[in-house]
Amino acid sequence: MRARDLVSAFPTVSLDTPVIDAARLLTEQDLPGLIVIDDDGLPLSILPGTQVLRLAVPGYCQDDPALARVVDEAHADVFLRSLAGRTVREALPTKPRELPVTDPDATVLEIAALMARTRSPLVAIVDAGRLRGAVTLQALLDRLLAS
Amino acid sequence: MTATAWLAVVVFLGAYTLIATERIHRVVAALGGAGIMLTVHATDAESAFFSEQSGIDWNVVFLLLGMMIIVGVLKQTGVFEYLAIWAAKRARGRPYRLMVLLVVITAGASALLDNVTTVLLIAPVTFLVCERLALPVAPYLIAEAMASNIGGAATLVGDPPNIIIASRGGLSFNDFLIHMAPMVVVLMAVFVGLCRLMFRRAFVYDPDRAADIMGLDEREAIADRKLLRQSLTVLALVMTAFVLHPVLHYEPSVVALLGAGILVALTKVTTEQAIAEVEWPTLVFFAGLFVMVGALVNTGVIGQISQAAAGATEGRLGLTTMGLLWASAGLSAVVDNIPYVATMSPIVADLVQANGGNESAQVLWWALAFGADLGGNATAVGAAANVIIVGIAARNRTPISFWEFTRYGLVVTVVTVALVTPYLWLRYLL
Repeated sequence: MRARDLVSAFPTVSLDTPVIDAARLLTEQDLPGLIVIDDDGLPLSILPGTQVLRLAVPGYCQDDPALARVVDEAHADVFLRSLAGRTVREALPTKPRELPVTDPDATVLEIAALMARTRSPLVAIVDAGRLRGAVTLQALLDRLLAS
Repeated sequence: MTATAWLAVVVFLGAYTLIATERIHRVVAALGGAGIMLTVHATDAESAFFSEQSGIDWNVVFLLLGMMIIVGVLKQTGVFEYLAIWAAKRARGRPYRLMVLLVVITAGASALLDNVTTVLLIAPVTFLVCERLALPVAPYLIAEAMASNIGGAATLVGDPPNIIIASRGGLSFNDFLIHMAPMVVVLMAVFVGLCRLMFRRAFVYDPDRAADIMGLDEREAIADRKLLRQSLTVLALVMTAFVLHPVLHYEPSVVALLGAGILVALTKVTTEQAIAEVEWPTLVFFAGLFVMVGALVNTGVIGQISQAAAGATEGRLGLTTMGLLWASAGLSAVVDNIPYVATMSPIVADLVQANGGNESAQVLWWALAFGADLGGNATAVGAAANVIIVGIAARNRTPISFWEFTRYGLVVTVVTVALVTPYLWLRYLL
C-alpha cells in the first residue's frame, strides 16, 4: 500500500485567508489540520489543528505562558476577537520547520514515520509539482488496523 | 612591533569587524579569531587557559554561569509578571504612571539580574497591559530597554561590561554600590522625566479601558509559591554574600555558583532544566574574546597602546576620564559593549597604574563603566536588551524601526552621559 492508495482531496487555505476563516474551515469540515499553499499551489506550511489555534493565541501568551493565567474569564472568553482581519500570513510562525510532504510512492511506514516526526496528523502528497491531496492520520490508521 | 604582533592586530580587527557587522555569528567570529591567534602563536594554551593577565577570565565566565542558572529558576516563578501586573493596577490605567512603574521595576530587576532576561520577562506582560489599555506598546518597550541598560549600570552583576570591569580592575560589589549606584538612581529619576517629554503623545487616558485592567489577576501569575520563596531566599542570600565580601572573602563568581548549586539542590528544578537555561553561546563568546585580547596583551600591542595613551594624557587624569567616558559611550552606541570593554580593560588597568593606582585613579574604571553601559542606549543595536526588544516587537506585529529607537536613544544617551560628566568631575577629580 502506498500514499497514492490513501490520498484524498484536501481543502487548502492561502496566505491571504483570514485566520478566522481558516479556523471555521477546520471546524466545519472537521479537519485534523490545514494546508497553507503558496502562489504556485504548493504546500508552504502544514498546520495541525493545535497550530491553527496557535495562530489565534496572543503573542504575549506564547512568549510567556504565565500570562494566560492572569487574564480574567470575561476577556479570555473573547480572545478570538483580537484576530479581527488578521491573515494567515501575519500569524504564521517565522521559523521554518520540516513539512510533512511526500510523494505518491511513499509507503505507509514512510508516511507514519513522517507524521510521527513532524507531529502532524496529515501529510500532503505532491506529485510532479502539483498538490494531489493529503493522507490523514485517520485514513492511515483505518487502513492499517483493517488489514 | 613584531610580525606576530601585527598579525594579531589584523586578526583582532577582522574578528571585531565581523562581530560588529554581524556578518557571521559572533561566537564563530570570536572563536575563529581565538583559533587563529593560537595557530600563529600570538598566544598559547598556558596563557589562554591559566594566565590571569592574558587568559580567559574564569571569574567572569563562572559568575555569568551562576547568575544564568539563578535567573533561569527565578523566571519560572512568575514574580516578574506578578510585579508588572500589580504595577499596572496600581497605576489605575494612567499611562504615564504605568510607564514610570514599569521602567522602575525594569531598572531594579536589571540591577540584580542581567538585562536581556529582564526585558524578555517584562516585554510580554507589557503587550498584555498595553492591549488592555489600548495604548501604543512601542514607547513602553523602548523605555523598558533603556531602563534596563541604565539600571544594569548600578551593580557589579547588572551588566556584563561591569562584570568584566570588576574582575579586571579588582573592584568589589560594594565598590559598584558606592560609586555607580547613587548616580544611577539620579539618572533613573532624570530618565523618568525624559519619558514624560519624549513619549507625551502616547499617554492617552481612557477611563473605560482603565477599569478593564482591574480584571487581571496578578496572583495567578505565581504558579508555585514554594519555588518563589526558595528562589527569592537564595537570591537574597547571594546579594548579601556579594555585599559581605570584605567579611566572607568569597569571590562573586564563587557566590553565584554556590547560589546556583543551592537553588538547584533545594528546589524541584532538575540539573538538566537548570543547565538548559544557560546561554552557552554567550559564555563561549566571552572565552573567545578573552583569548583574542590576551593575544594582544602577549604580543605587547596592549602595552604599546597603554604607553601611548599614558604618554599623551600624562598628568591629565581629568581629561583622560572625560575622553574615556565620551569615547566609550560613542563606541558602545555602534558596537557591542562587551567586546569593547573586554579590549579596553587591560588598557584602562595600565592607565590606572600610570596615574598612581590609587582610589582617585579608579575614576577611569567608572568612566569606562558609565560610558559603555549608557552608550548602549544610543541606537537600536547598542545593547543586547535593545536588540531583544526590537525583535519581540517585530514578532508581535508592532515593529520598532532602527530610527524610531535611535531617535529617543540618542537623546537619552547624551543627557545621561552629560550628567555623569560633572558627577565624575566633582566627586573624583576636584
